[in-house]
Amino acid sequence: MNIFLRELKVYRKGLLFWCLGMVMLVASGMAKYASFKGNSQAVVELMSQFPKSVQAIFGLTGFDLTKASGYFGVLYVYIALMVTVHAVLLGAGIVSKEERDKTSEFLFAKPISRFRVLSEKILAGLFNILVLNLVTSLSSVYFIGYFASDESFMSDVIILMVGLLMLQLIFFFIGTAVAGFCKKPKLSGTIATSVLLLTFVMTFFINISENLNWLSYFTPFKYFDAKDLMDSGFNLIYLVISAILVIVSIFITYKFYYSRDLDV
Amino acid sequence: MNIFLREIKAYRSSTLIWILSLCTLVTVFLFMYPAFTRDVDATRAIMANLPAAMRDALDISLANFFTIYGFFAYIFTFATLAGAVQAMNLGVGIMSKEDSGKTVDFLLTKPISRFKVFTSKLFASFGLILITNTVFSLTSYIVAGIVSTDGLDIQIFSLILASFFLIQLFFLALGILFSMLIKKIKSPVAVTLPTVFGFFIIGMLGSIVGNDNVRYICPFKFYDLNYVIDKGLYEINYLYIELVVVFIAVIASYLIYSRKDIRAAS
Amino acid sequence: MNIIETKKLTKYYGKSLGISEIDLEIKEGEIFGFIGPNGAGKSTTIRTLLGLVYPTSGSATIFGKDIIEFGPEIKEDIGYLPSEVFYYDGMRVIDLLKYSGSFYKKDQAVILKKIKELAEYLDLDLKKKIDDLSYGNKKKVGIIQGLLHEPKLIILDEPTGGLDPLMQQRFFDLLREENKKGVTILFSSHILSEVQKLCDRVAIIKDGKIVKIDNIKDLAKDTHKRFKLEFKGEIDRKQVTELIGVSDLAFDDNNASFLLKGNINEAIKLIAGFELTNLLVEEPDLEEIFMHYYVADKK
Repeated sequence: MNIFLRELKVYRKGLLFWCLGMVMLVASGMAKYASFKGNSQAVVELMSQFPKSVQAIFGLTGFDLTKASGYFGVLYVYIALMVTVHAVLLGAGIVSKEERDKTSEFLFAKPISRFRVLSEKILAGLFNILVLNLVTSLSSVYFIGYFASDESFMSDVIILMVGLLMLQLIFFFIGTAVAGFCKKPKLSGTIATSVLLLTFVMTFFINISENLNWLSYFTPFKYFDAKDLMDSGFNLIYLVISAILVIVSIFITYKFYYSRDLDV
Repeated sequence: MNIFLREIKAYRSSTLIWILSLCTLVTVFLFMYPAFTRDVDATRAIMANLPAAMRDALDISLANFFTIYGFFAYIFTFATLAGAVQAMNLGVGIMSKEDSGKTVDFLLTKPISRFKVFTSKLFASFGLILITNTVFSLTSYIVAGIVSTDGLDIQIFSLILASFFLIQLFFLALGILFSMLIKKIKSPVAVTLPTVFGFFIIGMLGSIVGNDNVRYICPFKFYDLNYVIDKGLYEINYLYIELVVVFIAVIASYLIYSRKDIRAAS
Repeated sequence: MNIIETKKLTKYYGKSLGISEIDLEIKEGEIFGFIGPNGAGKSTTIRTLLGLVYPTSGSATIFGKDIIEFGPEIKEDIGYLPSEVFYYDGMRVIDLLKYSGSFYKKDQAVILKKIKELAEYLDLDLKKKIDDLSYGNKKKVGIIQGLLHEPKLIILDEPTGGLDPLMQQRFFDLLREENKKGVTILFSSHILSEVQKLCDRVAIIKDGKIVKIDNIKDLAKDTHKRFKLEFKGEIDRKQVTELIGVSDLAFDDNNASFLLKGNINEAIKLIAGFELTNLLVEEPDLEEIFMHYYVADKK
């Protein structure tokens, strides 16, 4: 438990900043909704007939922006981007920082197994992720409720937040896997971030072309796309892929961290 | 010159990877332009069925998006996001790495002034950004020239590309300043990503609801591409804002750097 | 000429004291020792001299030039070896040393020759990557890096950790060799024996203040003698205790041991009356004197 507690303490301040940042993002994002008048329903419907690429380039989102929950759907992409940045940096950092800060000799000279070190670190990371998700969820519910006059939005928000948690988990474990695999501690954060950026940019390619829909399987951001989630709930295939991704990442994390020479 | 060359060498491969990624991004995207022009035709067909007044209004607001510039601007937004990450990471890293690598003693006990260390690193990072922009711009010109069916307005296209450079410049300066303000930076990405993405999201949300005040604080929105496509010009005020911010950031960083105590490695 | 001269040099880190009113004069061609326990202010003094930290008040000159105003110019002729060496990742030894040399105005070919000489002398492979070197070998890189430009002043901050005794000996020989050529050396350490071995004069620093500056021989002399007596029978404790100038007195079975300051004749006369199996009169080592200053101060 000592490593778990220690890591919680190390990340306490960072987590606080991230939580504040997320509350501000949700608050400022929704505040803009208050002053916002969407295109009339007629125009939205008309434009939804346009080809996908034209819609994307014109900045159409497919959401009903006259509703608070629809507006939140637009915001969701950015919320997802921020929390996955947090998750991937956390995952890569928490595993590799002993080597980066040259404290691995200290830690591994103690009578504990690498398995325990890693497990406690991962648990601490998961705790951070859960806290950030809860804070984001609660502030979302609060601020949407504040602006939505009489529509029901709870079910939409809940499904979006579960999707958000899945995204966080996927990128957290991608982070740990990269750090477990990568021998240079300074590189792991960079590589994990590159994966994140790549998959994020991929979604914008998918958005403009019907021919690229198959790419959706390669970017977790599409697994939990706000529009799909709100329209039709979770897609079973994507859930299975997510589970496989997480399990494989965990396996890689342990397998490689367990068997390699630590950089001191 | 030795520090300058050393830094160029140290960042050689990472800069190369950035350049390759950026060029691949725009190249792949621009080759989708022919398909897009077909979609535009389809859109016009839909619009033809509209009442004349509505069609004209839409036509005007869509006009810019239907050009190659509008198409390019779409992916360009994300290219600048990536470019900002590169620049800020470079700025944070190049100044803070001596601290975190504990090589600062090595450097500052040599017969050179801190001013020279600072300027060498400043020029090295500026040089790397310049190289990135040169290659990125050339690639964009060439590929856009190939896919564009009705030529390329060099002024408009150059202004779009130059905004990439200006945004990188802003984040480079910001990164340098942050590396001076934050003590013990262990991982540059952890500083860079929240900052850059934060600005990016503020800008995106601002533009979705058409809030203009956001533009004064968000470098991603200093250079409105719609305006550039329309007028072939920048809104000059924002250029001034940027230059002032960059100037202040660099001067402040130097002042902090020249006065700071380098304490023993611990 | 004074190579290093400090006047009331004071450094605070925020509110906590680093050093206070340090006055030092280090003359050309001497090997000057700087001793004190960890945290006494040795490194702070050195880092101030090198312009890594800025003094809160007071001033210092090296080669007669102000350390802040002429920082870069002064460093042309300083070689510095820090206690811990961290060098750029991914570089080979020779790359780093060439990089190091490139900062100096001296002819680079001369520097390269010196690098090779030193590497051979210290038995260091120049082609290896720094990352792959052992701690001791990294230390050697540090030594060469500090000497390759043939500096007129060498500043060493606890330099010997990680070197085996043989290498330490070679290193000291190297320093003596340089010293013979007229190079001034400032040697900071908490290991007194090595300071004793090498230095001409020594300053003792404690809690940020200089406690004493002395010739190392004078310091050791200071008419202190260490007496060790082994009695045949019962010790006449009373008589030993009453001896004038005794300190650090210890009894153990048939043995008595004490430090004597002042006239030894009284002691010899007294001892002549004892039945002894053994008698040792020694120069006290620096360690003991050092402790003496510290203990005395505590009282």
